[in-house]
Amino acid sequence: MKILPFAIRNVGRNRQRTLITIAAMGLAGFIMVFYASLLNGFSQKIAENSVGMSIGDIQIHAEGYRNDPDLYKMVTNHSDIISQLSSRGLAASPRLYGFGLAATGSTSAGVRISGIDPVLEATVTNLHQNILEGSWLDPSDPKGVVIGKKLARTLNVDVGGEVVMVSQASDGSMANDIYRVRGILKSVGEGIDRGGFYLLNDEFRSLMVLPEGVHEIAIKRLNESSELFESTAIVSRLAPGFEVLDWHRLQPIVSRMLETNEAGTLIMLIITYSAVSMVILNAMLMSVFERIHEFGIMRAVGVTPMQVFSLIFTEAMLQALAASLLTLAVGVPVSLYYQTHGIDMSSLAGDLSFGGVAINPIWYCKVTPSSILIPIIFLFLITALAVLYPAIKAAVIQPVKAIYHR
Amino acid sequence: MGDNVIVLEGVSKVYSQGKIDVKAVNNLSLEIERGEFAVLCGPSGSGKTTVLNMIGGLDIPTSGRIILEWKELSTLSGTELAKIRRDRIGFVFQAYNLVPVLTAFENAEFVLALQNVPKDERREKVMAILEEVGLKGLEDRRPDELSGGQQQRVAIARAIVSEPAIILADEPTANVDSVTAESLITLMEELNKEKGITFLFSTHDQRVISRGRRIIRLRDGALDLE
Ligand SMILES: Nc1ncnc2c1ncn2[C@@H]1O[C@H](COP(=O)(O)OP(=O)(O)OP(=O)(O)O)[C@@H](O)[C@H]1O
Ligand SMILES: [Mg+2]
Repeated sequence: MKILPFAIRNVGRNRQRTLITIAAMGLAGFIMVFYASLLNGFSQKIAENSVGMSIGDIQIHAEGYRNDPDLYKMVTNHSDIISQLSSRGLAASPRLYGFGLAATGSTSAGVRISGIDPVLEATVTNLHQNILEGSWLDPSDPKGVVIGKKLARTLNVDVGGEVVMVSQASDGSMANDIYRVRGILKSVGEGIDRGGFYLLNDEFRSLMVLPEGVHEIAIKRLNESSELFESTAIVSRLAPGFEVLDWHRLQPIVSRMLETNEAGTLIMLIITYSAVSMVILNAMLMSVFERIHEFGIMRAVGVTPMQVFSLIFTEAMLQALAASLLTLAVGVPVSLYYQTHGIDMSSLAGDLSFGGVAINPIWYCKVTPSSILIPIIFLFLITALAVLYPAIKAAVIQPVKAIYHR
Repeated sequence: MGDNVIVLEGVSKVYSQGKIDVKAVNNLSLEIERGEFAVLCGPSGSGKTTVLNMIGGLDIPTSGRIILEWKELSTLSGTELAKIRRDRIGFVFQAYNLVPVLTAFENAEFVLALQNVPKDERREKVMAILEEVGLKGLEDRRPDELSGGQQQRVAIARAIVSEPAIILADEPTANVDSVTAESLITLMEELNKEKGITFLFSTHDQRVISRGRRIIRLRDGALDLE
C-alpha cells in the first residue's frame, strides 16, 4: 500500500477542515517566527548597546578597581599587553577614568572623564558611529571633547561651546582646563548619556597628572565565532595579576536578561503551541472518528494496525508540512521586513532603559536560522504529539467494532 | 477431512452485556468445502454475522476452534491474521464497503496493492475483473458516483481479484433492490462456477436463499435441523 498518495487524498477530503487546521498551525508558526525574530533583534540590540558602546567583550582592570575606582589602581604594562592581544586577533583599547565637574557659564554637572585613544577605541566599540552632532575625537584637536546627549542638555552647550573641567589630579593638585565640545553622542546608555565626557588619552594624562598606566583595557574579539571563554582564558594568561572578566560577568543584569529572553521565547512557544495543538487534536480526532468504519473495512481486507497508524500520522505530517510552508512564506518575509524597517514601540514603551543600557524604541527583528527552524520543528513535534492519540486509537480498535461503528 | 476450506469445531461466542450473557453462537460445528456456494440464513439475531466475522478472523470465538486451510485462527497473531485476511479471505459487507477517496479501479486494486503485486500485473488483473463484474468503463468513478449495486460489484471485484480461498459476504444484497440482488447473486454464481471460488454468504431474502447450492440454517446461534 502506498501510504503517501493515499494520505494526500485523505487530506484533500474535507478541504474546509484541512484548510482551517493548516491556517491555525501556520498562524502559530508565523507568530512564533516573528516573536522569536523580534526578541532576537531586541536582545542583540541590548547586547550591542552594552557590549558595543562601552563594555567590549572582555576587560582588564587592576584588582579592586571596579569596586573602588581610584586613580592609582592601574594596569601598568598596558602597551605590552595590547600588542600581545592584537597578535592574537583581539582588538584592545586602553582607557583612563576620573571624575570631575564640568561647567559652562552658569551650570555645572558631575561627569566621568574618559581618556581614550580614538583609533584603538574604534576597534572595540561603536561610539564613533554614534555621533549625534559634530564629530568624534581627533588627535589633531587636543582640546576637543565628546560628551553625552543629556549632559549637553544639562550644561546647555552645543558643538563648538566651551566647557571648563575641574577635578583633583593624582598629585593632589587642582586639575583644571578649558575644552571645546567637538561632538555630542546619540543616546546610547544612561551612564554615558548623563555623564560621558571623552577626551584624548594624552589630555587626560596632563589634566590628571598621570604619566603612566591605564585604568581599563577593553577588548573585542575580531573573530566573532571564536568562543568567548577561550578568548577570556587567553587574556588572563597575557595579563597575570590583573582582573580579567568577560561581559557576562561585567554586565550580569544584561546577561541575565538575554537569557530570560530565550526562556521567554520558549514560554511563548509553549503557550501558542499548546493552544494550536488543541485545534490540531480536535481536527485529527474528527477526521479519524468519522472514518472508523472505513478503517474497519481496511483492516478486514488485510491492512495492519501499523499501516493505519502510518496513514493517519502521514496525513497529519502533510498538514504540518503545508503549515510550515505557510509559516515560511508569511513569517520570514514579514520578519525580514521589520528587520530593515523596525517597529516603533515608543507609544507602548516610551524611553526605555535596562541595566543602564538605553533601549531604542524602534525594535528591529533579527531573523536567524534558529528563529525560523525552532518554530517549524516544534510545529512538527506538536502535530506528531496531537495525532498520536487518535492514530493509536484508530490503529488498535477491533476491526468488528470499527466496521459496525456508525 | 476432505478438501475443507473452513472447519468450525464446537464454536461458541458469548457477548457479555452487563450482567446478561448473550450467546450469539452456541456450540456450532460446520465444514465448508472448496468450491462450495453456501448460503447462511436464519432469523435476525440468529448469529449469521457473528459466524462470518469469526471465520474471517475479525472476531474471536469464546470457545471452540476455527480452522482455515489447516491453520487454527486462535493461534495466530494480529499481524498474521491481517495477512490471512489479505491473502486468503475476501470480504463483502452489506454496504459502505469501499474507500470513498479511491476510484472503483483503486478500490478493486486495494488488496493487490497491499500484497505489493507489481503495477502492470495489478492493472491487468483489475481491468479483467472489473469487466467480469460488469463495470467496464466505470473504473475512474468514485464510490459516490456509483449505484449501490455497482458499489457491491466493486466490493466483489476487490474480494475475488486476489484469488482468496473463500469469499465471506454478509448480506451483500440487503441494500439493493431485488433485481440488482438477483444480478449480484448471478454474478457470484458465475464466479463460483467459472473460477471455482468458494462462497459463503448470509441473507434474509427468500429468493436469494433459494439460489444457494447448500443452505445452512441458523437459529439461536446453532444449526437449525428441522
Ligand atoms: N457486539 C455485540 N455485543 C453484544 N451482543 C451482540 C453483539 N453483536 C451481536 N450481538 C448479539 O448476538 C446475537 C447474534 O447477532 P448477529 O449480528 O450475529 O445476528 P445476525 O444473524 O447477523 O442478525 P441480523 O440478521 O439482524 O444481521 C444477537 O442477539 C445480537 O444481539
Ligand atoms: Mg447480521
